[in-house]
Amino acid sequence: MSKPNDLVQGTLDLLLLKLLALEPLHGWAISLRLRAISGDVLNVSEGSLYPALHKLEQEGWIKAEWKTTENNRKAKFYALTRPGKKQLETEAANWKRLSSAISHVVQLNEV
Amino acid sequence: MNLERLLHTLPLRLKSIFRGSVVEREMDEELRFHLEHRIEEGIAAGLSPVDARLAALRAMDGLDLRREQIRDARRIHWLTDFVDDVRYALRSLRRTPGLTAFVVLSLALGIGMSTASFSMVDGLIFRPYPVPRPVDIVDIVSTTRDNAFDAFSYREYLDIRRGTKSYDDVVASTGLLPVGFSAEPGATPRVRAGMLVSGNYFRTLGVEPPIGRPFRDDEDEVAGRNAVVVLGPDFWKHEFGGNPSAVGRTVRLNGTDFTVIGIAPESFPGMLLFQRPDFYVPLTMVTAFATGHQKTFLEDRGHRELAVRGRLKRGATLQQARSEMAALGQNFRRDYPDLNRDRGAAARTLFEVRTRDEAGEWKFGVIFVVLSIVVLSVACTNVAGLLLSRGQTRTREIAVRLAIGAGRSRLVRMLLTESLILAIVGGLGGVAVGYAGIRFFHTLAIPSELPVVLPFQMDVRVLLATLVLSIVSAVACGLVPALQGTRIDFVSGLRAADVDARGRRAWGRSALVVAQVALSLMLLAASFLMLRGFRIGVDAGTASVRNRVLMARFDPRLVQYSADQTLQFYTRLADRIRGEAGVEGAGLTQNPPLGLGNFDRIAFVPEGYAMPRDRETFAAALDSVDEGFFSAMGVSILRGRAIRRSDTADAPRVAVVNEQFATHYWPGGNAVGKRLHLDGATGPLVEIVGVAQTVQYRQTFEKPMDFVYVPLPQHPGPRMMLLMRSAGDPHQLIDPLKNVVRSLDANMPVSDVRTYEDVYRYNAVEGPGTGVEIVGTMGVVGLVLAIAGLYGLVAYNVSRRTREIGIRMAIGATPADVLRLVMNKGLTLVGIGTAIGVVLGLGLERVMNSFLFNAGGVDVFVYATVVPALLVVTALAAYVPARRAARIAPTRALRYE
Repeated sequence: MSKPNDLVQGTLDLLLLKLLALEPLHGWAISLRLRAISGDVLNVSEGSLYPALHKLEQEGWIKAEWKTTENNRKAKFYALTRPGKKQLETEAANWKRLSSAISHVVQLNEV
Repeated sequence: MNLERLLHTLPLRLKSIFRGSVVEREMDEELRFHLEHRIEEGIAAGLSPVDARLAALRAMDGLDLRREQIRDARRIHWLTDFVDDVRYALRSLRRTPGLTAFVVLSLALGIGMSTASFSMVDGLIFRPYPVPRPVDIVDIVSTTRDNAFDAFSYREYLDIRRGTKSYDDVVASTGLLPVGFSAEPGATPRVRAGMLVSGNYFRTLGVEPPIGRPFRDDEDEVAGRNAVVVLGPDFWKHEFGGNPSAVGRTVRLNGTDFTVIGIAPESFPGMLLFQRPDFYVPLTMVTAFATGHQKTFLEDRGHRELAVRGRLKRGATLQQARSEMAALGQNFRRDYPDLNRDRGAAARTLFEVRTRDEAGEWKFGVIFVVLSIVVLSVACTNVAGLLLSRGQTRTREIAVRLAIGAGRSRLVRMLLTESLILAIVGGLGGVAVGYAGIRFFHTLAIPSELPVVLPFQMDVRVLLATLVLSIVSAVACGLVPALQGTRIDFVSGLRAADVDARGRRAWGRSALVVAQVALSLMLLAASFLMLRGFRIGVDAGTASVRNRVLMARFDPRLVQYSADQTLQFYTRLADRIRGEAGVEGAGLTQNPPLGLGNFDRIAFVPEGYAMPRDRETFAAALDSVDEGFFSAMGVSILRGRAIRRSDTADAPRVAVVNEQFATHYWPGGNAVGKRLHLDGATGPLVEIVGVAQTVQYRQTFEKPMDFVYVPLPQHPGPRMMLLMRSAGDPHQLIDPLKNVVRSLDANMPVSDVRTYEDVYRYNAVEGPGTGVEIVGTMGVVGLVLAIAGLYGLVAYNVSRRTREIGIRMAIGATPADVLRLVMNKGLTLVGIGTAIGVVLGLGLERVMNSFLFNAGGVDVFVYATVVPALLVVTALAAYVPARRAARIAPTRALRYE
């Protein structure tokens, strides 16, 4: 159910895995990071964030844990699992290949 | 999915399934956490709390949609959907209890019959040997032109054991031998079933006695040295009360003391299909077992009595074993040309052994399975038809579901769940029906000397088959209706309560009815054929005397008689009996016609007969009889003379052949006076002195077979049966018989004393009767189901055309017109079904005739009775609803919706 402004399929997974590889985060923090990092270029819908997170969790790539935040509230923190790390590497490699191929095409001189 | 990922995902799945509410609560909490932060952020940016809340919700793009997506991510909706479907199906099935009960009942009958038949086929064909790694066991057989499963002699067995490399080891065993057994020396021996086996038998088969020990390999090396015995588990329980101290005791077998060394485990009832050995004795103890011709057992290469089996080595293939045996067979031919002319050796799988042509029982099993599958198909088509009709009345419901976005595959799944539940409940009923069927098989009492065990049982394999059948039938009954029911134009589906069927859909249902009528006609034809096959010739031959004949079995080997003593005993026995009051006649035979025992087979060459180039000899069944046999048994001599008392061992050798034999080899000529080489092409010449009438020898439905009678003194056998024809009730002869035997030898055991009528009843009446009952039941059940299906179809059509009928009547159609209109279709279908059924029935009859029976050609009578009966019954099934339609008042019909 992609919204028009959702990311290219699969890229959101990559972004989430990458963010969680840096440190464990809860959903709200992830949405803040996404906004901060990608700015206006990548408009990630907050709505599609949670289904994506749950999908990754069910795939076994990230794991969730209920912990208290610094404000002393309970929140669900996500962290990368070892299979997730591997998945991140594969997806990142795929992404690099794809993007370099596309930029290659884009840079072709028109006749 | 690798293991580590499973470590993470499995707990999640389980949590979703079993603690769904917790998972839901956590999801809500997580989303609330996010929304609260978002709202705080909005307020901080200067929005009012209400606006901030709205903005937060807007950012989620529809909270409920997202929740649904999260739930989908859990990957268990197939399960929750299934649970929902089951609930829904149960509810809707409860709403139509009559229909549900009918469907479940039809399926239970179909599945139950298939279950019972499968248990039969399983027991007769597929169940493996009761030993560890049974697939490695290969049957090694001697082959001749007439017998692809012949036995080996002891000498040949030793050569096989030495000369093969494909096996861990090779074992040999005899068939069951009647043995005089006494638990204490001195007690009167009773006849029990013993088996001679090689010393490596238990070790190689992998059977470990839980009490005592198995034979050692060296226990069959020296003739008569090791008098040891291993008891079968059942025998041990009956005879020794299951007492472990039986091991070490001394028992007496045929007059020789043996030491019990072990008890075979419960899991090993023996390697035979129908019988269980009471005890096992090493092969070399044959010397203690018998006198006379048994002396040759260990020495004579031509004395072939052993079943040989090998356990394939790890890595050895059946193919290797086969070519090895072929080579060995060639060596035998080269080294012993006299004994092995026309003879080879082969390795066979258990399946090949069980499905050999001479063993008839498995064929019944196969026929029953085929027929019961036909019944099940009729039941399934019936159920499919009913579900189809129901799907039709549900059109609107399905249209609504499609309109609000249900996927078609989801709906098909929903409808299939319903038929799955029907089939599972039907399957449970089927287990009950099947169990009853198996019990019914077991009620057959088989009158034989050594107890017979029918290997049919409800075990895991059979239950598994039932489960598979249930699921297959669920899909078979449910898929077509589900696919058709969901393929609707839902605009019109929503508009009308009941969409008119388009041609194609009506065609599907009509095809079902045609199939049902055809299949049940085929079943009926099959059961009539079986009935006729069994009945044919039942009254031929021995009919006039059979209720006056008493039989008794003797085996003087049990009391250590020599061959001469044995013959002398029999002669005196028969003479004395003939002198008793009330005895009209007495005779000796190895096995009377239809007597459940086996006949010897003998190779022969008619003198001067131009043998076909590819064969050395012919073979025929043989019986040794005395001069009293033919009159006692009521077998008449058509030409020449019967066996005479003067046909002694020293007299010229003679034989009486049956008419089938005579016309087979001397068509048109007179066989009397012709001569045969008996026992092979170089055997002694035997003159045919008489031609006897052809009777049934093994089964009442057998094809006429060649048969040779020879005088007992010229072809002596140790085990004989005495036939006594009484002037009145044969039971009156029991006491005179006992007196005569006592006066001849008080120690001589008499076994198997029963009337010929008993054996005959089993072999010719009850056994076949059971078969006829089974097939007949199938035919009737199939027909009832088909009629119900036809009735349902016509009634359904009528109810759907009620308005049309009302209009027709309103504009002037008479009730007769309506009747004709409605019945027309039903009768057309019945007609087509009947035509197809006749063709199928003829085909089936051909197959069964070539496979099993001798019921002659096409039975016009069957079709002349079955077809009109079927037409009448099915016409009635169409008539009843049609008549109801014709009676509808037009005003009511027009208002009907």
